[in-house]
Amino acid sequence: MQIEFYFLISSFLFAIGLAIVVTRKNAILVLMGIELMLNAANINFVAISQSAPDVGAGQFFALFVIVVAAAEAAVGLAIVLRVYDYFKTIDLDNINELKG
Amino acid sequence: MTQVNDILDWNPVTIMALLVFCLPLLSFIIISISKEKHQVLMSWLASLTMLMASLLSIAVLLQAWSEVYHTKFTWFQWAEYIFTMGLLIDLPAALMLVTVNFIAFLVHLFSIEYMKGDEGYKRYFAFLGLFTASMIGIVLADNLLVIFVFWELVGLSSYLLIGHWFSKEKAAKAATKAFIVNRIGDIGFVIGLSIIWLQFNTFDLVELYSLMGNIQVADGMWISASGSSLSLIWLTVAGIALFFGAIGKSAQFPLQIWLPDAMEGPTPVSALIHAATMVAAGVYLVARIFVLLNIDALTFIAFTGAITAMMGAVAALTQNDIKKVLAFSTISQLGYMLMGMGVGAYDAALFHLFTHAFFKAGLFLAAGSIIHSLHLSNQANDFDAQDMRNMGGLRKSVPVTFIAYVLCGLALMGMPIFSGFLSKDAILLDTLTWANAHQSMFFYLIPILGFGSVLITAVYVSRQILLVFFGEFKGQEVKSIKENSLLIKGVLLILSIMAIGVCWSINPFYSEMSWLMSHIEIPSSAFDIGMLSASFAPSHLMVSLISTSLLLTGVVFAYLKYRPEGQYFRNYSLETLKPQNFWQSLSYENWYLDQFYQTVFINPFHKITSFAKAIDTHIIDRMVNLFGMGSVIFSYIVAWFDRAFVDGTVNAVVFLTGRVGTATRSIHGSKAQSYILAAVIGLIIIIFLIF
Repeated sequence: MQIEFYFLISSFLFAIGLAIVVTRKNAILVLMGIELMLNAANINFVAISQSAPDVGAGQFFALFVIVVAAAEAAVGLAIVLRVYDYFKTIDLDNINELKG
Repeated sequence: MTQVNDILDWNPVTIMALLVFCLPLLSFIIISISKEKHQVLMSWLASLTMLMASLLSIAVLLQAWSEVYHTKFTWFQWAEYIFTMGLLIDLPAALMLVTVNFIAFLVHLFSIEYMKGDEGYKRYFAFLGLFTASMIGIVLADNLLVIFVFWELVGLSSYLLIGHWFSKEKAAKAATKAFIVNRIGDIGFVIGLSIIWLQFNTFDLVELYSLMGNIQVADGMWISASGSSLSLIWLTVAGIALFFGAIGKSAQFPLQIWLPDAMEGPTPVSALIHAATMVAAGVYLVARIFVLLNIDALTFIAFTGAITAMMGAVAALTQNDIKKVLAFSTISQLGYMLMGMGVGAYDAALFHLFTHAFFKAGLFLAAGSIIHSLHLSNQANDFDAQDMRNMGGLRKSVPVTFIAYVLCGLALMGMPIFSGFLSKDAILLDTLTWANAHQSMFFYLIPILGFGSVLITAVYVSRQILLVFFGEFKGQEVKSIKENSLLIKGVLLILSIMAIGVCWSINPFYSEMSWLMSHIEIPSSAFDIGMLSASFAPSHLMVSLISTSLLLTGVVFAYLKYRPEGQYFRNYSLETLKPQNFWQSLSYENWYLDQFYQTVFINPFHKITSFAKAIDTHIIDRMVNLFGMGSVIFSYIVAWFDRAFVDGTVNAVVFLTGRVGTATRSIHGSKAQSYILAAVIGLIIIIFLIF
């Protein structure tokens, strides 16, 4: 299979993730969008690592990204929980304390 | 240096001797861990171990009669030097072993009766075991360093036993005094050890004997076989320094002040430690290191001994405490032995050591028996049962003790047919030979002091016997005074039989016939001592006649002065007796040595310490306080600076940051998602611009 298909899939996924992040108002859904974008990057890594299978750096990097994503999700959800405790909402539009 | 530290194997004799050393040690350990309620059983057990040790040591003596046994093994190694330890059994060591064990056995038996009911009974017997073991250690050790270790151990056990009744202030002080004065002597011992080590790199006595045989003296230098050389003066210094240890332990001038005070201990202890064995360790040490001593050191020893013999005898003349008379007489007799050593009469001095050990132990135990009887007769009344002013006329109430006392006392005086005559005569003969050989009037001082001490000894022994046993009883009698039990009587009789000359020599008038003295060989010294060559020997008969006539003069004089009908005897009571003239006080106060040390050493030392204390409180403390105050003030300044400047800077930065934050936050419009969108679009634009 040609490598362009992977790129297409991944850019499609990235675009969906970006759309979610930009449009949805719920903070948890925004986090899910970020996960999609990260996985788009993972697809790129794995796809490119096909051209140099002996090195395996791309696959390894994909695993690394998954681990970092898990950590990011944990921290992100914790922040969302604290935000909910404080503002009693997770609607991003209503969280505007910094507004002058 | 060459490897001379060979290992010598054990043989049956040395193993037996090691057993003799271990038995009292075992008794010490067992008694220490046993229960208080078994203490009487334990004391019998201790006596039994001592009996076994005595029998074993007699077996050792029979083996060592004509041969020297030596066993040694490596103790530890330090750099290239190997330290060995082991047992060296020659004839003097074996004889000393028998003497120590036998007297220790008798003292154990005596103590069972004497210490009955004492609250420190168990502790007492444990320490007796410790003492005996350490004393045997000194006797058997083949090595100066090991001897020094045991030397300190007997010092410790002597301290513990003098202070047996430590709740009495006098006993506690006497124990401390004995310990400290002995330490002063030990400084000399350590210096001597250092010089010996520097020159020979070994402490082993047998090696030292052979090394001393190979030394050369050239141009005032002292050159050992290995090539190490020191100035000859150091040889003399080494001898005198080692002898200084003996001065402390054997209570010689100028360190004899501790022994009279040591009489605060229980009387059997005085008999064992402060008369028969431990104080003789100094003499024994001089015998062990005899070949290391050169002629100057020996002369020094002879003069110290002679002076001490005279001083001790004079001090014994006016004492009122029955044990103190004996203590001063011990000092005097030890002086005799060292005088004998000093003039090269090695065999005679050792012979006197052994005879003295028996008759002096007999005298002390007889005194103990009297004290015990007096205590039993008058338990409630708090009177001094050691003061002769509370005695008198005791020959009727304690006849066996009286006989023992007189027999041992005659031996002490040196009466013919008694043991003391043989040994004292031999020493006096040799001093006179020595003085003849020196061809100088100055050296006749030593025989003169020796003969003078014979006279005075006769006077003070007769005085004591007259004051204690004759006339009428002067103390307060509650119950009638009774002779002690069979145990005590048996011990006294054994010791008084040993005071009779026939036990020591077939012909009780002629010391050369002694089985003991004829077997002790004078070790060959590298120095031509040559002072006892027969050509200078005076007539033996003449010496005996002089000493015997001096002795009889002394006895007659003492009888005339101290007889029960005389004025002195009638005035001799607690109330009326005071030293009447300078000479009597000089004797009573032991030549004012205590006062001398008090004025010359202790008082200035106190002055120095109080001066140092004053400097401490007034200058050093004040400086420290000032410094402390200064640092408190300084820290207040620092604290103010901290608050005003350091904290101020930090606060200013915080304040500034806050202001900047407040000023800039109005730019933000609360639309996080639109920022992301803007950022993505911007990124895309940048990408397009670049590619």
